Amino acid sequence: MLAKLTGWLLLGIVRLLTGAQARWYGCPPKAEQRIYFANHQSHADLVMIWAALPEELRSITRPIAARDYWANTPVKRWITTEVFNAVYVERAATAPAAAAAPVAPPPPEVRPPAASNAPAERIEPSMEPLLPIETITVAEAPQEIQGQLDLPAPPPPPPPVAPPPVIEPDAPVAAPEPPAADPLAPLIDALRSGDSIIIFPEGTRGHTGEPQKFKSGLYVLATMFPDVVLVPAWIDNVQRVMPKGEIVPVPILCSVTFGAPIRVEDGEERRPFLDRARAAVIALRDV
Amino acid sequence: MNQFLRSLSPTEQVAALFLIVFGLLVIVSTTVFFLSFKERRNPVHDESWQAELAHVRALLGTTWFMVIVFWIGWALGETVATVLFALISFFALREFITLSPTRRGDHRSLILAFFVVLPIQFWLVATARFDLFTVFIPVYVFLAIPVASALANDPSHFLERNAKLQWGIMVCVYGMSHVPALLLLTFPGYEGKSAFLVFFLVFVVQTSVLVQHLISRRMQRTPFAPNVSRSFNWTSWGIGIVVASLVGALFSFITPFKFGQALAVSIIACVAGSMGHLVMKALKRDRGIPNWGQKGVGVTGANGLLDRVDALCFAAPIFFHSIRWYFNV
Repeated sequence: MLAKLTGWLLLGIVRLLTGAQARWYGCPPKAEQRIYFANHQSHADLVMIWAALPEELRSITRPIAARDYWANTPVKRWITTEVFNAVYVERAATAPAAAAAPVAPPPPEVRPPAASNAPAERIEPSMEPLLPIETITVAEAPQEIQGQLDLPAPPPPPPPVAPPPVIEPDAPVAAPEPPAADPLAPLIDALRSGDSIIIFPEGTRGHTGEPQKFKSGLYVLATMFPDVVLVPAWIDNVQRVMPKGEIVPVPILCSVTFGAPIRVEDGEERRPFLDRARAAVIALRDV
Repeated sequence: MNQFLRSLSPTEQVAALFLIVFGLLVIVSTTVFFLSFKERRNPVHDESWQAELAHVRALLGTTWFMVIVFWIGWALGETVATVLFALISFFALREFITLSPTRRGDHRSLILAFFVVLPIQFWLVATARFDLFTVFIPVYVFLAIPVASALANDPSHFLERNAKLQWGIMVCVYGMSHVPALLLLTFPGYEGKSAFLVFFLVFVVQTSVLVQHLISRRMQRTPFAPNVSRSFNWTSWGIGIVVASLVGALFSFITPFKFGQALAVSIIACVAGSMGHLVMKALKRDRGIPNWGQKGVGVTGANGLLDRVDALCFAAPIFFHSIRWYFNV
């Protein structure tokens, strides 16, 4: 009850500030199982895309929230679980690892799937100037290596249904850290229980207009759940509502554009697919 | 009829006015609804005919919306009316800012504009502090905004950015706030009827804009400033002003003015309104957009609001000040 009221209140505020318009180009709002993937510019993205979805879809669509940020106070935890019905992902385990070892190939390998969740929130309002740069370099570099390393190895075409094996293809490369807690696991659970999810495959909030390179989690999920529809989305203007470091939002009209669904083609490799997905998101900017 | 209307109390007169307006709207809407069943034999004609009808329906929708807003504002009293206009002003400013690129350094100034200046201005209107509310924005705010911007430590395009924001505040907040201010003017012997004044202003200004639009569509004259507006030319402008002012003068019986006075204030309001419309068109052209509001379909109903109220935003302050100065009320 209280959650519902809070939800309505939040929705009202978001509509008042941003208009929260949904523009459905390429696919109608439909109650099928979907993975929405969008560009990431601001903290408010999660709220924005949640508010733009029609009521019926909102209840079956779960955004991704980083546990270390969204669950660190009771209020935030309550809002994310009760109102947004979010899926928590761990990134605490992966982030320090990244910071610690930007150097070598062996440990970072575990991260790629993790990277896909880290996007959910990278929020340290207080340390604005330093953090973004750091995270980008650290996160991007291993990612590159990872992509190359993987190209030969991964294709054991992901067994479609059984999830645990699928995590394997990525994990074994990184022998040292056993799949401690597979960061994708919560998403996999959510998808397996029939919910739709919203992910931000970039990793960090971008400060340029262009989204950064996509992390591989999207590919993993797409191959594991071939029946789930992948819908690209472009969130427009949100960074102006609440730039990094500000806490008071300003009213500016924003919109979320949903595009035509894409799918992993037979035998398509990870990197080409992720680039194609990113292009699909960017293409929506000018629709 | 006239005698009968005069015998009514002011409240009843306003109510009668709304009844008439709603009645007219119902008739027009029903006609358009039935017209939409009609099919033209030639498919090309049919298509353009349907498009025209859709355009008319959109216009009607806006009119209904505005009339209902006015009605609610009048029915619930002056405070509610002021709040309503404050909301309209908020949405208009939101549209304006959305389409005028801002930088990160503008954030604090924007907060100031939306959450401090706008409420204070309308609060000043609601409490009838005439001396302050006419100078609050041009004097205090216009000097405070650049200070907030300067403190944000971002000099690039400083003048442009501040001008944009100040202009937005001027049109959307200052101009709009003068509409509810009309409700507070007390002419001797005209108590309780200030709602008519608002109606008068809106009606006259909209008539002039509408007549100009229709005339310039009918007769293709060379536009005077084609880079700004392809439809603006002096002939249709003149006809629009004359028609609307005469209509305004005919409606002088609902205002505290005599025939000649009503004609004069109508002309003032129409010239200000149509010129304001033109200015806003130039702003839109500069932004490279055909109209205000986010591209695409709106959920909030606030889209393109600025297009509807821009003439009013210009006409209201000038109308307000001219009658206040002349009649000394």
